[in-house]
Amino acid sequence: MANLWQKLTHHKGNGWWNLPHTASNELNPPHEGPVGGAWLGNWWRFWTHGGVSHAGPKFYWLVGFILAVITALEVWAFALEGLGAWYIPILLILAVAKFIGVVAYFMHLRFDKPMFTWFFASSMVVGVLIFVALMFLMENAHTPVLF
Amino acid sequence: MTQAVAIDHHEPIENTSTGLNSRKLMMWAFLGSDVMFFGAFIATYLVYRGKSLVGPYPSEILDIPLTTLSTFVLLMSSLAMVLALHYVKDGERNKGTLWILAVVVLGAIFMGFQFYEFREFGHLGLTPRTNIFGTTFFILTGIHGAHVTIGIIWMGFMAYSSHKGALRPDNALDLEIAGLYWHFVDIVWIVIFTVIYLISANDGPPPGMESMITH
Repeated sequence: MANLWQKLTHHKGNGWWNLPHTASNELNPPHEGPVGGAWLGNWWRFWTHGGVSHAGPKFYWLVGFILAVITALEVWAFALEGLGAWYIPILLILAVAKFIGVVAYFMHLRFDKPMFTWFFASSMVVGVLIFVALMFLMENAHTPVLF
Repeated sequence: MTQAVAIDHHEPIENTSTGLNSRKLMMWAFLGSDVMFFGAFIATYLVYRGKSLVGPYPSEILDIPLTTLSTFVLLMSSLAMVLALHYVKDGERNKGTLWILAVVVLGAIFMGFQFYEFREFGHLGLTPRTNIFGTTFFILTGIHGAHVTIGIIWMGFMAYSSHKGALRPDNALDLEIAGLYWHFVDIVWIVIFTVIYLISANDGPPPGMESMITH
Protein backbone atom coordinates (compact mmCIF):
# COMPACT_ATOMS: atom_id res chain seq x y z
CA MET A 1 0.00 0.00 0.00
CA ALA A 2 2.78 2.40 0.95
CA ASN A 3 4.59 1.40 -2.21
CA LEU A 4 1.54 2.20 -4.34
CA TRP A 5 1.23 5.53 -2.62
CA GLN A 6 4.87 6.28 -3.48
CA LYS A 7 4.22 5.42 -7.11
CA LEU A 8 1.13 7.57 -7.29
CA THR A 9 2.53 10.65 -5.66
CA HIS A 10 6.25 10.68 -6.36
CA HIS A 11 8.09 12.24 -9.19
CA LYS A 12 11.12 10.10 -10.04
CA GLY A 13 12.49 10.02 -6.55
CA ASN A 14 11.69 13.66 -5.91
CA GLY A 15 8.32 13.72 -4.23
CA TRP A 16 5.73 15.52 -6.28
CA TRP A 17 4.62 17.24 -3.12
CA ASN A 18 8.14 18.02 -1.91
CA LEU A 19 9.19 21.62 -2.17
CA PRO A 20 12.23 21.63 -4.47
CA HIS A 21 15.39 22.99 -2.93
CA THR A 22 17.21 24.01 -6.07
CA ALA A 23 16.33 24.68 -9.68
CA SER A 24 18.12 21.50 -10.71
CA ASN A 25 15.71 19.11 -8.97
CA GLU A 26 12.74 20.83 -10.54
CA LEU A 27 13.51 19.17 -13.84
CA ASN A 28 10.70 17.26 -15.39
CA PRO A 29 11.52 13.56 -15.82
CA PRO A 30 10.89 12.89 -19.51
CA HIS A 31 9.98 9.21 -19.35
CA GLU A 32 7.62 9.07 -16.44
CA GLY A 33 3.95 8.21 -16.78
CA PRO A 34 1.26 10.51 -15.43
CA VAL A 35 0.75 8.48 -12.26
CA GLY A 36 4.18 7.15 -11.45
CA GLY A 37 6.66 4.50 -12.51
CA ALA A 38 6.82 0.66 -12.55
CA TRP A 39 3.85 -1.35 -13.82
CA LEU A 40 1.38 1.47 -13.39
CA GLY A 41 3.66 3.83 -15.29
CA ASN A 42 4.08 1.26 -18.04
CA TRP A 43 0.34 0.87 -18.39
CA TRP A 44 -0.09 4.61 -18.59
CA ARG A 45 2.75 4.83 -21.10
CA PHE A 46 0.44 2.97 -23.46
CA TRP A 47 -1.61 6.13 -23.49
CA THR A 48 1.37 8.35 -24.25
CA HIS A 49 3.64 8.71 -27.22
CA GLY A 50 5.69 5.59 -26.61
CA GLY A 51 7.23 7.00 -23.47
CA VAL A 52 8.66 10.13 -25.02
CA SER A 53 6.09 12.34 -23.40
CA HIS A 54 4.02 12.35 -20.26
CA ALA A 55 0.72 12.31 -21.97
CA GLY A 56 -0.58 12.17 -25.50
CA PRO A 57 -3.96 12.78 -27.11
CA LYS A 58 -5.30 9.36 -26.06
CA PHE A 59 -4.57 10.13 -22.45
CA TYR A 60 -6.20 13.56 -22.67
CA TRP A 61 -9.30 12.02 -24.29
CA LEU A 62 -9.41 9.51 -21.44
CA VAL A 63 -9.21 12.30 -18.84
CA GLY A 64 -11.91 14.24 -20.74
CA PHE A 65 -14.12 11.15 -20.77
CA ILE A 66 -13.65 10.60 -17.03
CA LEU A 67 -14.52 14.26 -16.34
CA ALA A 68 -17.66 13.92 -18.46
CA VAL A 69 -18.65 10.77 -16.54
CA ILE A 70 -18.16 12.59 -13.23
CA THR A 71 -20.40 15.42 -14.51
CA ALA A 72 -23.03 12.82 -15.42
CA LEU A 73 -22.74 11.35 -11.91
CA GLU A 74 -23.29 14.81 -10.41
CA VAL A 75 -26.49 15.29 -12.39
CA TRP A 76 -27.57 11.75 -11.56
CA ALA A 77 -27.09 12.54 -7.84
CA PHE A 78 -29.21 15.66 -8.38
CA ALA A 79 -31.97 13.69 -10.09
CA LEU A 80 -31.93 10.91 -7.50
CA GLU A 81 -33.46 13.10 -4.76
CA GLY A 82 -32.96 10.43 -2.13
CA LEU A 83 -29.46 11.09 -0.90
CA GLY A 84 -30.53 13.31 2.00
CA ALA A 85 -27.58 14.53 4.05
CA TRP A 86 -25.19 12.76 1.69
CA TYR A 87 -26.18 14.92 -1.26
CA ILE A 88 -23.90 17.92 -0.65
CA PRO A 89 -20.82 15.91 0.48
CA ILE A 90 -21.13 13.65 -2.59
CA LEU A 91 -21.41 16.66 -4.91
CA LEU A 92 -18.42 18.33 -3.28
CA ILE A 93 -16.29 15.17 -3.58
CA LEU A 94 -17.20 14.85 -7.28
CA ALA A 95 -16.44 18.55 -7.87
CA VAL A 96 -13.05 18.21 -6.16
CA ALA A 97 -12.28 15.15 -8.33
CA LYS A 98 -13.06 17.17 -11.48
CA PHE A 99 -11.09 20.12 -10.20
CA ILE A 100 -8.02 17.96 -9.55
CA GLY A 101 -8.40 16.22 -12.92
CA VAL A 102 -8.29 19.53 -14.80
CA VAL A 103 -5.56 21.12 -12.68
CA ALA A 104 -3.29 18.07 -12.55
CA TYR A 105 -3.58 16.86 -16.14
CA PHE A 106 -5.02 19.60 -18.37
CA MET A 107 -3.07 22.36 -16.63
CA HIS A 108 -0.10 19.98 -16.48
CA LEU A 109 0.69 20.51 -12.82
CA ARG A 110 1.30 16.78 -12.44
CA PHE A 111 4.03 16.96 -15.06
CA ASP A 112 5.35 20.44 -14.44
CA LYS A 113 7.90 21.77 -12.01
CA PRO A 114 6.63 21.17 -8.46
CA MET A 115 7.11 24.82 -7.55
CA PHE A 116 4.03 25.67 -9.66
CA THR A 117 1.96 23.14 -7.70
CA TRP A 118 3.11 24.73 -4.46
CA PHE A 119 2.37 28.15 -5.79
CA PHE A 120 -1.18 27.31 -6.83
CA ALA A 121 -1.89 25.13 -3.78
CA SER A 122 -0.84 27.94 -1.43
CA SER A 123 -3.14 30.33 -3.33
CA MET A 124 -5.95 27.82 -2.90
CA VAL A 125 -5.30 27.61 0.84
CA VAL A 126 -5.45 31.41 1.18
CA GLY A 127 -8.50 31.51 -1.12
CA VAL A 128 -10.33 28.91 0.99
CA LEU A 129 -9.38 30.79 4.18
CA ILE A 130 -10.85 34.00 2.74
CA PHE A 131 -13.95 32.01 1.76
CA VAL A 132 -14.37 30.54 5.26
CA ALA A 133 -13.60 33.86 6.96
CA LEU A 134 -16.21 35.66 4.86
CA MET A 135 -18.80 32.98 5.60
CA PHE A 136 -18.24 33.27 9.35
CA LEU A 137 -18.02 37.04 9.29
CA MET A 138 -21.18 37.61 7.31
CA GLU A 139 -23.21 34.83 8.94
CA ASN A 140 -22.40 36.09 12.43
CA ALA A 141 -22.99 39.72 11.52
CA HIS A 142 -26.71 38.91 10.97
CA THR A 143 -26.59 40.81 7.72
CA PRO A 144 -30.07 42.13 7.00
CA VAL A 145 -31.82 40.94 3.88
CA LEU A 146 -32.46 44.03 1.85
CA PHE A 147 -34.88 42.72 -0.71
CA MET B 1 15.94 34.54 -21.41
CA THR B 2 15.60 30.92 -22.40
CA GLN B 3 12.01 29.97 -23.02
CA ALA B 4 10.55 26.68 -21.91
CA VAL B 5 9.93 24.77 -25.13
CA ALA B 6 7.68 21.99 -24.01
CA ILE B 7 6.39 20.32 -20.92
CA ASP B 8 6.27 16.98 -22.61
CA HIS B 9 9.93 17.07 -23.42
CA HIS B 10 12.92 17.95 -21.32
CA GLU B 11 12.43 21.51 -20.14
CA PRO B 12 15.43 23.75 -19.75
CA ILE B 13 16.11 25.33 -16.41
CA GLU B 14 15.13 28.95 -16.84
CA ASN B 15 17.76 31.57 -16.29
CA THR B 16 15.93 33.03 -13.31
CA SER B 17 16.60 32.79 -9.59
CA THR B 18 13.72 30.32 -9.18
CA GLY B 19 14.48 28.32 -12.31
CA LEU B 20 10.91 29.00 -13.42
CA ASN B 21 9.79 30.88 -16.49
CA SER B 22 8.78 34.37 -15.39
CA ARG B 23 5.80 34.70 -17.74
CA LYS B 24 4.38 31.36 -16.69
CA LEU B 25 4.92 32.21 -13.04
CA MET B 26 3.12 35.50 -13.61
CA MET B 27 0.11 33.65 -15.01
CA TRP B 28 0.04 31.30 -12.02
CA ALA B 29 0.26 34.34 -9.72
CA PHE B 30 -2.68 35.91 -11.54
CA LEU B 31 -4.66 32.68 -11.28
CA GLY B 32 -3.85 32.53 -7.56
CA SER B 33 -5.29 36.02 -7.11
CA ASP B 34 -8.31 35.07 -9.22
CA VAL B 35 -8.97 32.13 -6.86
CA MET B 36 -9.38 34.67 -4.05
CA PHE B 37 -11.48 36.96 -6.27
CA PHE B 38 -13.97 34.21 -7.14
CA GLY B 39 -13.77 32.79 -3.61
CA ALA B 40 -15.12 36.09 -2.27
CA PHE B 41 -18.08 36.12 -4.70
CA ILE B 42 -18.94 32.45 -4.11
CA ALA B 43 -18.82 33.03 -0.34
CA THR B 44 -21.12 36.04 -0.74
CA TYR B 45 -23.57 33.95 -2.78
CA LEU B 46 -23.62 31.26 -0.08
CA VAL B 47 -24.06 33.73 2.76
CA TYR B 48 -27.16 35.16 1.09
CA ARG B 49 -28.39 31.80 -0.16
CA GLY B 50 -32.04 31.18 0.67
CA LYS B 51 -32.57 34.68 2.06
CA SER B 52 -34.50 36.28 -0.78
CA LEU B 53 -37.87 37.53 0.37
CA VAL B 54 -39.30 37.88 -3.12
CA GLY B 55 -39.19 35.51 -6.09
CA PRO B 56 -38.23 34.17 -8.46
CA TYR B 57 -36.34 31.63 -6.38
CA PRO B 58 -33.70 29.21 -7.70
CA SER B 59 -36.17 26.31 -7.57
CA GLU B 60 -38.46 28.22 -9.93
CA ILE B 61 -36.02 29.14 -12.64
CA LEU B 62 -32.75 27.18 -12.64
CA ASP B 63 -32.64 24.86 -15.61
CA ILE B 64 -30.29 22.00 -14.66
CA PRO B 65 -30.45 20.02 -17.95
CA LEU B 66 -29.55 23.14 -19.94
CA THR B 67 -26.72 24.08 -17.58
CA THR B 68 -25.43 20.50 -17.61
CA LEU B 69 -25.14 20.80 -21.37
CA SER B 70 -23.24 24.09 -21.15
CA THR B 71 -21.00 22.61 -18.43
CA PHE B 72 -20.20 19.69 -20.71
CA VAL B 73 -19.39 22.11 -23.55
CA LEU B 74 -16.96 24.07 -21.37
CA LEU B 75 -15.38 20.84 -20.13
CA MET B 76 -14.84 19.71 -23.71
CA SER B 77 -13.31 23.10 -24.55
CA SER B 78 -10.66 22.34 -21.92
CA LEU B 79 -9.99 19.02 -23.65
CA ALA B 80 -9.71 20.85 -26.99
CA MET B 81 -7.29 23.30 -25.38
CA VAL B 82 -4.92 20.63 -24.09
CA LEU B 83 -5.03 18.84 -27.47
CA ALA B 84 -4.27 22.12 -29.26
CA LEU B 85 -1.23 22.67 -27.06
CA HIS B 86 -0.05 19.12 -27.68
CA TYR B 87 -0.25 19.49 -31.47
CA VAL B 88 1.33 22.95 -31.51
CA LYS B 89 4.24 21.58 -29.47
CA ASP B 90 4.51 18.67 -31.89
CA GLY B 91 4.71 21.10 -34.80
CA GLU B 92 1.44 19.88 -36.32
CA ARG B 93 0.24 23.32 -37.34
CA ASN B 94 -3.07 22.41 -38.98
CA LYS B 95 -4.23 20.19 -36.14
CA GLY B 96 -3.10 22.81 -33.63
CA THR B 97 -5.05 25.55 -35.40
CA LEU B 98 -8.11 23.33 -35.68
CA TRP B 99 -8.18 22.54 -31.97
CA ILE B 100 -7.63 26.18 -31.01
CA LEU B 101 -10.60 27.04 -33.23
CA ALA B 102 -12.56 24.30 -31.46
CA VAL B 103 -11.82 26.07 -28.17
CA VAL B 104 -13.13 29.34 -29.63
CA VAL B 105 -16.30 27.69 -30.96
CA LEU B 106 -17.01 25.74 -27.76
CA GLY B 107 -16.37 28.87 -25.68
CA ALA B 108 -18.77 30.82 -27.90
CA ILE B 109 -21.42 28.09 -27.52
CA PHE B 110 -21.01 28.27 -23.75
CA MET B 111 -21.51 32.03 -23.86
CA GLY B 112 -24.55 31.49 -26.09
CA PHE B 113 -26.03 29.27 -23.38
CA GLN B 114 -25.31 31.92 -20.77
CA PHE B 115 -26.84 34.67 -22.87
CA TYR B 116 -29.96 32.52 -23.43
CA GLU B 117 -30.15 31.74 -19.71
CA PHE B 118 -29.84 35.40 -18.69
CA ARG B 119 -32.50 36.36 -21.24
CA GLU B 120 -34.87 33.65 -20.01
CA PHE B 121 -34.33 34.72 -16.40
CA GLY B 122 -35.15 38.28 -17.45
CA HIS B 123 -38.40 37.09 -19.02
CA LEU B 124 -39.23 35.23 -15.82
CA GLY B 125 -38.69 38.39 -13.80
CA LEU B 126 -35.22 37.81 -12.38
CA THR B 127 -32.74 40.66 -12.81
CA PRO B 128 -29.80 41.75 -10.65
CA ARG B 129 -32.18 44.16 -8.89
CA THR B 130 -35.08 41.75 -8.27
CA ASN B 131 -33.80 40.04 -5.13
CA ILE B 132 -30.62 39.07 -3.34
CA PHE B 133 -30.45 35.79 -5.28
CA GLY B 134 -30.54 37.72 -8.55
CA THR B 135 -27.82 40.12 -7.39
CA THR B 136 -25.38 37.46 -6.21
CA PHE B 137 -26.18 35.07 -9.08
CA PHE B 138 -25.73 37.60 -11.89
CA ILE B 139 -22.57 39.11 -10.41
CA LEU B 140 -20.88 35.73 -9.98
CA THR B 141 -21.91 34.15 -13.29
CA GLY B 142 -21.50 37.48 -15.11
CA ILE B 143 -17.91 37.88 -13.94
CA HIS B 144 -17.24 34.30 -14.98
CA GLY B 145 -18.81 35.03 -18.36
CA ALA B 146 -16.54 38.08 -18.74
CA HIS B 147 -13.55 35.82 -18.09
CA VAL B 148 -14.77 33.37 -20.75
CA THR B 149 -15.27 36.23 -23.23
CA ILE B 150 -11.71 37.47 -22.67
CA GLY B 151 -10.52 33.89 -23.14
CA ILE B 152 -12.41 33.54 -26.43
CA ILE B 153 -10.82 36.74 -27.78
CA TRP B 154 -7.38 35.57 -26.62
CA MET B 155 -7.90 32.17 -28.26
CA GLY B 156 -9.06 33.91 -31.44
CA PHE B 157 -5.70 35.68 -31.63
CA MET B 158 -3.94 32.38 -30.91
CA ALA B 159 -5.86 30.64 -33.72
CA TYR B 160 -4.92 33.42 -36.15
CA SER B 161 -1.32 33.25 -34.98
CA SER B 162 -1.22 29.49 -35.45
CA HIS B 163 -2.87 29.71 -38.87
CA LYS B 164 -0.24 32.23 -40.00
CA GLY B 165 2.55 30.00 -38.73
CA ALA B 166 3.60 32.41 -36.02
CA LEU B 167 2.78 29.91 -33.28
CA ARG B 168 5.45 27.24 -33.40
CA PRO B 169 6.88 24.58 -31.07
CA ASP B 170 9.60 26.99 -29.93
CA ASN B 171 7.11 29.61 -28.75
CA ALA B 172 4.29 27.27 -27.72
CA LEU B 173 4.62 28.80 -24.27
CA ASP B 174 2.38 31.62 -25.54
CA LEU B 175 -0.40 29.10 -26.06
CA GLU B 176 0.41 27.26 -22.84
CA ILE B 177 -0.06 30.47 -20.82
CA ALA B 178 -3.35 31.23 -22.61
CA GLY B 179 -4.34 27.61 -21.94
CA LEU B 180 -3.71 27.96 -18.20
CA TYR B 181 -6.15 30.87 -18.20
CA TRP B 182 -8.72 28.87 -20.15
CA HIS B 183 -8.51 25.82 -17.89
CA PHE B 184 -8.83 28.07 -14.86
CA VAL B 185 -12.09 29.45 -16.23
CA ASP B 186 -13.23 25.83 -16.53
CA ILE B 187 -12.35 24.92 -12.94
CA VAL B 188 -14.16 28.00 -11.64
CA TRP B 189 -17.24 26.82 -13.54
CA ILE B 190 -16.89 23.36 -11.96
CA VAL B 191 -17.33 25.05 -8.57
CA ILE B 192 -20.13 27.36 -9.77
CA PHE B 193 -22.06 24.48 -11.36
CA THR B 194 -21.90 22.51 -8.12
CA VAL B 195 -22.57 25.31 -5.66
CA ILE B 196 -24.93 27.63 -7.53
CA TYR B 197 -26.81 25.14 -9.65
CA LEU B 198 -26.80 21.61 -8.21
CA ILE B 199 -26.74 22.50 -4.51
CA SER B 200 -29.06 25.51 -4.74
CA ALA B 201 -31.47 24.19 -7.37
CA ASN B 202 -34.19 23.35 -4.85
CA ASP B 203 -33.93 26.57 -2.85
CA GLY B 204 -37.21 28.33 -2.28
CA PRO B 205 -38.31 31.07 0.14
CA PRO B 206 -36.63 31.22 3.58
CA PRO B 207 -38.00 28.49 5.91
CA GLY B 208 -41.08 29.52 7.82
CA MET B 209 -41.73 32.57 5.67
CA GLU B 210 -43.46 30.94 2.72
CA SER B 211 -46.90 32.18 3.74
CA MET B 212 -45.71 35.78 4.24
CA ILE B 213 -44.04 36.10 0.89
CA THR B 214 -45.52 37.45 -2.28
CA HIS B 215 -44.13 36.78 -5.71
